[in-house]
Amino acid sequence: MRDGIELDAVNQTTQASQKIDSANIAARAESASKIYGSGESEVRALDNVSVSFERGKFSAIMGPSGSGKSTLMHCIAGLDALTSGSVYIGETDLSKLGDKDMTKLRREKVGFIFQSFNLIPTLNAYENITLPLSLGKSKGDKAWIQQVIDTISLNDRLDHRPSELSGGQQQRVAVARALATRPEIIFADEPTGNLDSKSGSDILKFMRRAVTDLKQTIVMVTHDAVSASYADRIVFLSDGHVAGEMTDPTPEKVLDFLKHLGE
Amino acid sequence: MFRLSLKMTVARKGRLFLTSLAIILGTSFLSGTTIFSDTLNSTFDRLFTDVFRDVDAYVRSTDSVDTGFGEQRAPTPVAVLDTILQVKGVSAAVGDMQSYARVIAKDGKPIGEDQGPPTFGGIASLSSAGLWNVEDGRLPNGAKEMMLDRETAEKGKYEIGDSVRVTALSGTRQFTLVGIANYGDISSPGGATYALFDQPTASEFLLKPGFVDAILVQGDGTLSDDELAESIDAALPTNAKLETLTGAEITEETTSQIKTVLGFFTTFLTAFSFIALGIGCFVIYNVFSITAAQRQRESALLRAIGASRRQVSVSLLVEALIVGVLGSTIGFAAGIVLSRALSALLNAIGLEITTNGLTINSGAIVQTVLIGTVITVLSAVLPALRSGRVPPLAAMRDTALDTVQKLTRRVAIGLVLIVAGAGGLFAAMNGADVAILGLGVLGVFAGVLVIGPALSKPVATLLGKPVSVLRGVTGAMSQQNVARNPKRTARTAAPVLIGVALVTAFTALAASIKNEIRESIGSSFRGDYALSVNSRGFGGIPTSVTDQLTQLAEVDQATGVGFVAAKVGDESPFVLVFNPETADGLYDLSMVEGTQKGLTKNEILVEADKALNKNLMIGSNINVTLADGRSMQLTVAGTYTDAYGNYAISRELFEGSATPLFDSFVYIKTKEGVSDESARTAIAAVSQDLGIGTLESRDEYIDTQAAQVDQFLALIYGLLFLSVIIAIVGIIITLLLSVFERRREIGLLRAVGMTRSQVRTMVRWESVITSLFGAVMGVVLGILTGIVIVVSLNDSGFSAFTLPIGNTIVILVGAFIIGVIAAMFPAWRATRTEIVSAIASA
Repeated sequence: MRDGIELDAVNQTTQASQKIDSANIAARAESASKIYGSGESEVRALDNVSVSFERGKFSAIMGPSGSGKSTLMHCIAGLDALTSGSVYIGETDLSKLGDKDMTKLRREKVGFIFQSFNLIPTLNAYENITLPLSLGKSKGDKAWIQQVIDTISLNDRLDHRPSELSGGQQQRVAVARALATRPEIIFADEPTGNLDSKSGSDILKFMRRAVTDLKQTIVMVTHDAVSASYADRIVFLSDGHVAGEMTDPTPEKVLDFLKHLGE
Repeated sequence: MFRLSLKMTVARKGRLFLTSLAIILGTSFLSGTTIFSDTLNSTFDRLFTDVFRDVDAYVRSTDSVDTGFGEQRAPTPVAVLDTILQVKGVSAAVGDMQSYARVIAKDGKPIGEDQGPPTFGGIASLSSAGLWNVEDGRLPNGAKEMMLDRETAEKGKYEIGDSVRVTALSGTRQFTLVGIANYGDISSPGGATYALFDQPTASEFLLKPGFVDAILVQGDGTLSDDELAESIDAALPTNAKLETLTGAEITEETTSQIKTVLGFFTTFLTAFSFIALGIGCFVIYNVFSITAAQRQRESALLRAIGASRRQVSVSLLVEALIVGVLGSTIGFAAGIVLSRALSALLNAIGLEITTNGLTINSGAIVQTVLIGTVITVLSAVLPALRSGRVPPLAAMRDTALDTVQKLTRRVAIGLVLIVAGAGGLFAAMNGADVAILGLGVLGVFAGVLVIGPALSKPVATLLGKPVSVLRGVTGAMSQQNVARNPKRTARTAAPVLIGVALVTAFTALAASIKNEIRESIGSSFRGDYALSVNSRGFGGIPTSVTDQLTQLAEVDQATGVGFVAAKVGDESPFVLVFNPETADGLYDLSMVEGTQKGLTKNEILVEADKALNKNLMIGSNINVTLADGRSMQLTVAGTYTDAYGNYAISRELFEGSATPLFDSFVYIKTKEGVSDESARTAIAAVSQDLGIGTLESRDEYIDTQAAQVDQFLALIYGLLFLSVIIAIVGIIITLLLSVFERRREIGLLRAVGMTRSQVRTMVRWESVITSLFGAVMGVVLGILTGIVIVVSLNDSGFSAFTLPIGNTIVILVGAFIIGVIAAMFPAWRATRTEIVSAIASA
């Protein structure tokens, strides 16, 4: 039975990969390797990983601690540099960008949602949401920002400082900020890791709606099966390798796969 | 982005206040100094404009000696008055005198201080060209009458009809007070005292019969001041060596002379305000470094969502800009208060300068705010650049990165600076320029500050040893806390280091100078008593007093020594004047070559090093011009080592001269077998009649002279006080920020059972160790600096250096107390840490 499920998942992956054409890819890594240390203490966080993320989809990266999932995300998002291999956002090769262009790319094409310490404590919710726009000295699309704010239903909290918001509300502001520039891709690093389950599922629903209703692209790193099940597709990592993929996941299917991965 | 930076800054009011504090203190000193000197300048501007209001022309001698602190001019013959009065366009002309005269109050004490505002004697005249308005009584007439300015009359409690004692060039006399006058509209100009006589009495008593200082002229209004001056000049005898100035010219000249003197003084004050600002710089740099590290995650987050390095750096610089403008504006306001304190400080050490109100120029505001802001922003540049370099990934790490950089490069740079500096010092000790000495000191200081972080860990660990032994685990934690961030410890200790080094250097210098004064007077003064006044250069003891003393039955020998301004070669020094006949065996110049006995009026003695320097030897000729215009060639008759001044001439040169010569001190030797009591009684009879001068035994005199250095040292201490305050504030701010940064750690300690008082103890010892680290380094640097300065400015080499052991101990104890005081508030804050929220907060 287990074998059947694994086979099923792999089959689905193969089929899904075939369906993706290159114009529809938001970000991809090719033969990506990341090595920390050298000699005896060498750690291969990523070992020759090739993976693509489709535009307009909610993707998840899963794996146990130390599997390299966070490293993969940091490298694809341009926060960290690869030891070898290359990473593309759209058609842009990140390894060829200097700090200036990388900054511009982060500001305009990429959005981030972190696990915690997501907001600037001295700015209110609205200012935090529009911060990437302010940094680029652009007014942004007012209607779009309003639409985003409506989606996360924070209209009545916009002039509050982060310290006056609950953890869930803070994270919703962070989601809105990531959406504000209408980036090509949003990366979320354990966005529900610090939240209670109710707030957590709220955030996941908002992210889901951002993809479905607002046509955004999100890549989320998580180790929680329930969170991952909100995604359209899951990439499993283990010991720095891609260990498998799954489309249209449910929590049960994910847990089963992980159980197998653990063995 | 600018607007956001602004908001982010203003939102952190506590941090804004802490950072501003350092710049507030630094700039307040600067603005205080500026306001103070502006006030002095405008006071004298107004005074002299007022004084010369009715003077259209001013006739004086062309002969003068510039002393560097104003000039001394030859007198003008009164006879020229007749010539001037006949010039067309002249309505009135009158002699003017500002000579030395000391009014003695009814209690026998002189009115005014030796080093205070000048005590003048002058001419009272009703001529409209004169400067005085008679308030009560009438003008003095004849050799027995005088007039006083209102303020002096009030100080001496003198009324019309009283008998007033006055001491001047010709000795002490009694006059009948017949009038009280105002100077223009004011009771006394700048706190000076005035004894006024008719012209013949004034000339005879204060200067030389038939001579005045200058002639004041008033026109009848038919000619312009320029034309008037020209026609007077044309009428003057061609060989009289006289010149005519317009009223405007003499006003301007007098004002600018005063301003030159004040300029020395304000430059001195400004130097200390820049020391305070420099120390403030360190504190600002430190605060920005710490806050930049504390908001590393914030900076990283900004970078992750698309802020460029520049934007992150700029946001910190915007904060610095706000702090700078805000801090220096408040600092300016505080400076207004401080300028009052400066005045009080100077009054306290006897340098009284009377001012009316405060002068606050817009230039002072602009200067203060500009300098304060620029300095703040510059201090923030390095921390800003550093925070721009934070990797975006740091936003996702749980703990702030504690970058422990290798200190090798730092140590290398520091060592290069120290070696270069030491080279300069070595050169200076072997006779190189004073500028090299300054650069050398700067190099060593900079080197030590650069190396600081490498030293702070071992030194702080060592200093903390006793604490950890004494205070157990709490003390050990203090020790570790100081050692765990060597850079921060070094930066916090730097202001203490600089402050303590300066205090120590000045103390060592003062101790050495004192010692030298003692030795110098000790070897030159061979008598039993000294009668002395403190005023050098203007007035003093009439030379006739020495003769009076010599005639006493108790006195074996008495000799007076005075100083006059003269041109010697290409210099204009104060020249020592003594009497070779009476000085022998009583006042000993410690001759190297030749003898002081029998020095004639055609000869001069030169200080040994000066002689070497100027290539003068016995038999060399040197040109000397006295203030009365007499120019002569003197032959070097010997060289000496122990005396004030580089040149010494005989009193004989001044016989019949119109150059006023006073004695600054008179040395007295009593006859054998005369008891102290009877000697004092006899000498005091003369000095009490004189009304001025302090009578002291040899030991008392030496003590008093050496103690004058203490007065100067007290002024330096006062001026460094603010720098020390800034250093304390620096420690307070750093500790507060550290306590805030470690609130989780402190919460954890509290959770596992550390009491509040233990938390307090921990923070307190951390502060004390940091402060002591700075102080120990400062004392070492300060003593070294003192040694170098003493050795390079003094010929007797290292032996001239005196280590002020007592003061050094006081400084170290002071640093300990500073540490305890600085820790009070931060320690209290640390105990307020709430355990649960501290641990919960991310």
